[in-house]
Amino acid sequence: MTDRKDDRDDRGAADSAKLESFFAAGRAEKPRPDGDFLARMESAALAEQPAARPVPVAPVAHRPGFLGHIREVLGGWTGVAGLVAAGAAGIWIGVSPPDGLTVFWSVDASGLGALGVDPLGGFDLSLVEG
Amino acid sequence: MPYEAMSPSDDEDLLAAYAAGDAAAARALTQRLAPRVFAHAFRMLGGDRAEAEDVAQEALLRLWRAAPGWRRGEAKVTTWLYRVTANLCIDRRRRSRGTTDLEAVPELVDGAASVADGLQQRARAEALQRALDGLPARQRQAVILRHIEGLANPEIAQIMDIGIRAVESLVARGKRALEAALTGRRAELGYDDDD
Repeated sequence: MTDRKDDRDDRGAADSAKLESFFAAGRAEKPRPDGDFLARMESAALAEQPAARPVPVAPVAHRPGFLGHIREVLGGWTGVAGLVAAGAAGIWIGVSPPDGLTVFWSVDASGLGALGVDPLGGFDLSLVEG
Repeated sequence: MPYEAMSPSDDEDLLAAYAAGDAAAARALTQRLAPRVFAHAFRMLGGDRAEAEDVAQEALLRLWRAAPGWRRGEAKVTTWLYRVTANLCIDRRRRSRGTTDLEAVPELVDGAASVADGLQQRARAEALQRALDGLPARQRQAVILRHIEGLANPEIAQIMDIGIRAVESLVARGKRALEAALTGRRAELGYDDDD
């Protein structure tokens, strides 16, 4: 009885070994696709491929130059125009003051001489000298 | 690192590069996966080259379309492809003709002549293919994955979506059927009956 079982086991092992030789032949004879097929597959892969994602570019911060910075501080072109106009008017008044303006602005009329500005008053001197 | 030099475990990296629009990744993946998918389909479909090409093309097309939504770490790319390929093959066989009668498959190779010409290996491979073709689809799939593709049982279980025990059972039954089918062909394929 045991001999019969051993015989069966031996036969089973031999059958497995023979089957393995078929498997080895199957692995060695691997079916290979031809070049045309691979080329078609490559074309299909490229055709189905999503478009390349654009590399995100950080927005370049606009940095104004020196004059631009001044312009911004002054409130843009409107502010600059106003400042220029005021400056031109000041120069014009200073160089050639209109006749009507002297009524309001003259050394005598301003009364600066009458004020007698004292840059260092007696009270200040007493503080300095102790 | 050049794509050709990457290991199989990098398939997911390549697929991510493919989804990002990298043409070199598309070429590398095709060169790497198309022969494998074709070979599996060829064996599952009884050696029909035209049918195997159709199935391989369809399986790869599905992979390309799945690439943008691929979730890393869920399944290996090859596991997914083996599953899709086998399912396509089984559907195709079911639609066309059902299980092939082993005896009805015409002999393509004259066994004695092959032995004489030193072509035993090819003859054995073809005999194996015919014997595989006579197996039920799930047994054929399990035996091919285990003994020809050389995959481990856990991966086969994933591909076939069954337990490891079920894989072992399918492989064992498939091998018994193959042994029975190939017994009569040993002599003509260069095996002595005594060995």
